[in-house]
Amino acid sequence: MPLLELNNLSVNYGAVQAVRDISLTVEAGEIVTLIGANGAGKTTTLRAISRMMKPRSGTLSFDGHDLLAVSADVVVRYGVAHSPEGRQVLARQSVADNLELGAFIRRDSAQIQADIRRMYERFPRLGERRGQLAGTLSGGEQQMLAIARALMSRPKLLLLDEPSLGLAPIIVLEIFGIIKELNAQGVTILLVEQNARLAMQSSHRTYVMEAGQITFSGPSAELANDERVLHAYLGG
Amino acid sequence: MDLSSFLQNVLNGLAIGSVYALFALGYTLIFSILGIINFAHGAVFTLGAYFTYTLISGQFENNGLLKGVNLFPNGSPLAGSAWGFALSALVGSVLAGLVAVVIERLAFRPMRSRGADPLLALVSSLGVALVIVNLIQILVGAESYSFPDGIYGDLPGALLFKLGKKTIIIRTVQVIIFGVSMVLLLILGLVIGRTRTGKALRAVAENPGTASLLGISVDRFIVITFFLAGLLGGLAGTLVGSSFGIAGPYFGVTYGLKGLAVIVLGGLGSIPGAVLGGLVIGLAEAFVPADYSAYNQAVAFALLFVILLVRPQGLLGKLQIQKV
Repeated sequence: MPLLELNNLSVNYGAVQAVRDISLTVEAGEIVTLIGANGAGKTTTLRAISRMMKPRSGTLSFDGHDLLAVSADVVVRYGVAHSPEGRQVLARQSVADNLELGAFIRRDSAQIQADIRRMYERFPRLGERRGQLAGTLSGGEQQMLAIARALMSRPKLLLLDEPSLGLAPIIVLEIFGIIKELNAQGVTILLVEQNARLAMQSSHRTYVMEAGQITFSGPSAELANDERVLHAYLGG
Repeated sequence: MDLSSFLQNVLNGLAIGSVYALFALGYTLIFSILGIINFAHGAVFTLGAYFTYTLISGQFENNGLLKGVNLFPNGSPLAGSAWGFALSALVGSVLAGLVAVVIERLAFRPMRSRGADPLLALVSSLGVALVIVNLIQILVGAESYSFPDGIYGDLPGALLFKLGKKTIIIRTVQVIIFGVSMVLLLILGLVIGRTRTGKALRAVAENPGTASLLGISVDRFIVITFFLAGLLGGLAGTLVGSSFGIAGPYFGVTYGLKGLAVIVLGGLGSIPGAVLGGLVIGLAEAFVPADYSAYNQAVAFALLFVILLVRPQGLLGKLQIQKV
């Protein structure tokens, strides 16, 4: 049974149908990417999974739980962490408090503190800036904080929305390195990316979205060589 | 003005100003979470005073449906001792907090869940306030009620300090008001600044969407906020009522308006701002000469006007940067 399963899911943004009838699965241990042009419905799909949005129809299940029956604050308790588009760090709280709030659903405070120290080891720049307000961090640092904060809930599945957006190429590579590393440690990842080439290089399987629908899907290595995908998304 | 009357004014100002701060914090808490003013806060203040009065006196001799009712024919067991007063103030304030939670359910949540403009909740909260005030009037009439004598038990009525030939009088109730207010403000500051609950509350205030992604139930924290706000408002009503009496069902209206002046003066959404604003307005009023005390209200709002000309964001507020 897949860890995450979407069946014929449709989501409306007001009167606009942003996602139409999509079906998608993520198996435990995978990195799956969702690529597509701006406005294709990638972010909406993630927001529907974490229940920031209410799907109009279809089914949505994670690890045996029906996610349509619960609200966003319960989804994270089931083990889905969402690092949202635009990072959305809590700008008026410190780096340390952001991480602590990432572990809001946990009660094991000694373990939480140990995890925070581990995050500082993995992201040394967060460690250096632990007392600083998150709003004063650079874009790359905020992205790292958003990922670290999502990891603080010890998720089974991490939803990452555009982690490369607006970042310098070297930082993008660093972040993709971290994504692979996390996956090697057992975190399943569903990644939304504009940088299709890099995303396909870093993932096991890829779904291509177009105007709210999934048009192609398959192993990333195959899709990356598929004429049609190449033509439409990789400019080649 | 000589030193002793100066000090006397400062003491009076701090005592009443700390109640303003306590009351205004209720507005601030809700404003920082929802971005709107709860216009029913003044009614909660009034209810807090009536609740405590009911517990400590229980006599409704004036008018209304409860006319002639005396809950404690042998006198309330809570009357006549400082601890009894403390307990009834606590219970009265908690009840006021619960009413605030009901107000949230009736006037705020239905609007929010339908995605209505937040401004509409302003009107619905005003409606709830009118209903509460009218209910009070139907039940116990429009007359004023005084708390029974000796509710502070064995505590002396006032402390006297000699300063040269003059005497400075500090009424015990002023000490209680100031002490209770400051301790509560301190606790609240620590809870919001340091604890997990406080951090979560600030997360909800900053970005409800992100907060819910972290597992924080936004609705639950809104309920907690309304409860705290109602508790503070009810306690402020209790302290003012026990000091000056309850002036009737419209008792809270003046405080409601003054509370608005306090939060605007201090800076909307700022907790230290509400405290500073309360103390500044309290002190300003205390320095109005007794002959002109009818102009107290005018002083508060004139001060507000002048300070806003210089600092439009209020004393401790941050300039709003419009998001585009």
